[in-house]
Amino acid sequence: MTVAMAAVLAVVVGSLISCAETRASEKKVSLTPGPEVEELEQSMSYEEYQKRYKEVFGTATEEMAEDGNPAELALDDGLDLVNAVAGSKGLSCASCHGKDGVKLKGIAATYPKYDPAIKGIATVALQINRCREGNMGAEPFKYESYDQLVITMYVKSLSNGVPIHVSIDGPARPFYDKGKVYYFKRQGQFNFSCAVCHVKYAGYMARTNLISNNKHHGDHWPAYRLKWGKTGSMQRRFRGCLKNMRAERPAFQSEIFRDLELYLTSIANGEPVQVPGLRM
Amino acid sequence: MPKGVGKIRIRLPKHIAKGEVIPVKALITHPMETGLRKNKKTGKIIPAFYINDVRVYYGGELVTHADWSIAVSANPFMTCYVKADKAAPLKVVWKDIKGSVYEKTVQIQPE
Amino acid sequence: MKEMQTQPNAVSRREFLKKAGFASVAVMAVSTVSSMFSTGGRSPLSWPGAQEAAAAGRDVREVLRANFGDRTIQPSHVMLKTPIIAENGAVVPVAIDSDLPMEAGNYVKKIYIFVDQNADPFIASTDLTPASGRAAYALRIKMRKTSLVRAIVETNKGVLYGDTKTVKVTIGGCGG
Repeated sequence: MTVAMAAVLAVVVGSLISCAETRASEKKVSLTPGPEVEELEQSMSYEEYQKRYKEVFGTATEEMAEDGNPAELALDDGLDLVNAVAGSKGLSCASCHGKDGVKLKGIAATYPKYDPAIKGIATVALQINRCREGNMGAEPFKYESYDQLVITMYVKSLSNGVPIHVSIDGPARPFYDKGKVYYFKRQGQFNFSCAVCHVKYAGYMARTNLISNNKHHGDHWPAYRLKWGKTGSMQRRFRGCLKNMRAERPAFQSEIFRDLELYLTSIANGEPVQVPGLRM
Repeated sequence: MPKGVGKIRIRLPKHIAKGEVIPVKALITHPMETGLRKNKKTGKIIPAFYINDVRVYYGGELVTHADWSIAVSANPFMTCYVKADKAAPLKVVWKDIKGSVYEKTVQIQPE
Repeated sequence: MKEMQTQPNAVSRREFLKKAGFASVAVMAVSTVSSMFSTGGRSPLSWPGAQEAAAAGRDVREVLRANFGDRTIQPSHVMLKTPIIAENGAVVPVAIDSDLPMEAGNYVKKIYIFVDQNADPFIASTDLTPASGRAAYALRIKMRKTSLVRAIVETNKGVLYGDTKTVKVTIGGCGG
């Protein structure tokens, strides 16, 4: 048995003991057993995956991100929206959250988060709309519209560099479990689950695509995606994946998508927020 | 001008030595519609709307002039080079086929 | 060939490939012979990428001829950098660099970029001046499908240099 195999095994065993175990050291101990999900072995370590990525795609995307991510230009529009007065109460985001939303620094790293008011998981996008409706008396943004994306992007970018630390214990636990179950649930005409590709076959080629490892899936959305030629949210990507799986596609910010976003972001716990991202 | 079009960022190296050849990285937001795509819902062709002319001036002098076709990506990015032998403004001007002009000036200050 | 004319639909894929393979070998042979007799540079159609130009149809040949006539292109002094694979061809970064001098009276006048398989193979051209200091340019381009990308550089004396790279464009797959 090679060292690499041993490493893979260690990862697999670790993940089988369930995430609850590993999180336990960071957060308060949670004795809730994880949900029952299909047992899938992680194909390779993240380092191995990175090596393969370099071999297949080179450094083109990284260089492009350095040279200029088109989404960064839209951040100014997000800033304008934060300072803009909207709605019946004559308030702007800046009225409560400080000029340019400075008081929101670091907050997005804790999202998605359990919110007792909606008895569920609130994402940044949802929270912005709830704030607009409830506190400002303004029209909520249409999901995936330009304004909605740039303001979400701006608010999240205030937390850039802050390690993600979403809570998956306490009241968030059942929702985390739901997200995880969804991630591992086989569905659609092809009978795939998210995990089949992004856990079991991450790092392998699907035709000429390298299937991505899920470690960093949660830390850079909304991102500029080369294929779209524009910025989009993580949930738009969910829908793209589900379409390819020939599966039913839930609506933006539906309950299950928010739970899934929580699960995926929790995998990136400890990684710094880097919004907006740049993806293939 | 449609929303989110014509936002510009020009990136220069932080430290510039006199006489050094420096990269000028310029990014502008623009849809760069080819005129070949159809609106999926209505089936109508989306009219062409793209930048076809880019000029870089350094101290009022034309340094680089690019002709672009429809095949330059949306939100076009380009890198060109300038010999920084004087302290002078660097102006980049984009023109699209509808006649809109987008421009931005940055100062080159060799140390 | 007779078969093909009488029953165009009856040609199996395998047969077609055989024929196409033969044709390309023939083209290769011709281009090898012609390059043996040429001195240094080669005409736009026989330098690297000639087979692809032949396969790409009239457009590329015409565009190249319209821009460069029958002048020779030397496959040196120019480096074209592209990714090997582009997932979806909407954004493909290309960078052209060259070590040619940029002095008054002896400089690179123009840089061209062509993509064989695009509806219009002409992508962009850039006029440079000695004030540019370096004959280099980078751009992000759209590619309809897997194709040869050509970078051609023209000096103020009318000498042409070039480089080519193939970029694999993948459509579908896990695009989403």
